[in-house]
Amino acid sequence: MRAFNRYILFLVLAAFAINTAIAFVAPNDLTVFFTANVLAFLVITVLHAYLNPRARQSLNAIGIVLFGGFLVIVILKAVDVLSKK
Amino acid sequence: MIGFTCIALANARPYISPEASELILKTGMENTSALLEELGVRNKAIYLPSSLREGRPQALIPLTGILDTGRIRAKIPGRLIVRYGDGPGDMALAVTTPGSISLEKLESKPGPNAADIEAAVTYVLTGLLDLANNVTVNMGDGEVKVEVSGPRLHYEDIWYYRCLGSPVASIVATIVCEALGKPVRIAEEDYNRGKSTVHLEVLP
Repeated sequence: MRAFNRYILFLVLAAFAINTAIAFVAPNDLTVFFTANVLAFLVITVLHAYLNPRARQSLNAIGIVLFGGFLVIVILKAVDVLSKK
Repeated sequence: MIGFTCIALANARPYISPEASELILKTGMENTSALLEELGVRNKAIYLPSSLREGRPQALIPLTGILDTGRIRAKIPGRLIVRYGDGPGDMALAVTTPGSISLEKLESKPGPNAADIEAAVTYVLTGLLDLANNVTVNMGDGEVKVEVSGPRLHYEDIWYYRCLGSPVASIVATIVCEALGKPVRIAEEDYNRGKSTVHLEVLP
């Protein structure tokens, strides 16, 4: 199997497993879905570090955007916790 | 997320189509093959690290007999037909191989150990060129055994491959010689059950 196909397959399988599991545990919390998917994306991308430089550059750009979204969630949660105090 | 990833990966594919790449590869190979056939050269090539050539690792095919690496002068000039020693028969063809070009894509020179070489060969063959699924490197005394799983270019019994080895073996040999800083020769190359095994002889 080609490297790109393997990468996409891992990503699809991880997303399927994570989303199915969360659908049973916390189906109403969108942030949990997003955070778990972002973490899976980042881990799988790191494991496929040997992809060609152009692909890695594009994936890094997507990773930065997703990580930005993750940080926004963390900040909102932190603000929420602090404002309750 | 998966959609964006697919778009990003699709854009990362090369501009040149695989058919055009194959055409260019075959043209180059046939030209080199015709040159070797015309000169009647049957000797196995020796892969030299960039330290012995002018900046780029190349393969040296001796025109007569077997090349004795001990007779190689400090640095071989960057020409096609070169004199590598002081003897009258110390002449060889210096050719650029697919490995010489692919080495430029490596971000840093691999270290002289099996782990570094394996990482570099995996990066080039699997990530960069998509020519194989997996690579394993084992180093012994004066020899390096490289197992390439699922190679897309197999060994064929043609003049070019008999002298220089298959493109996969050529890439492996170039990376190994550059990592070790020593000349290497492809001693044997076999293909069995979807796995290509390249035996390299490290020369002094």
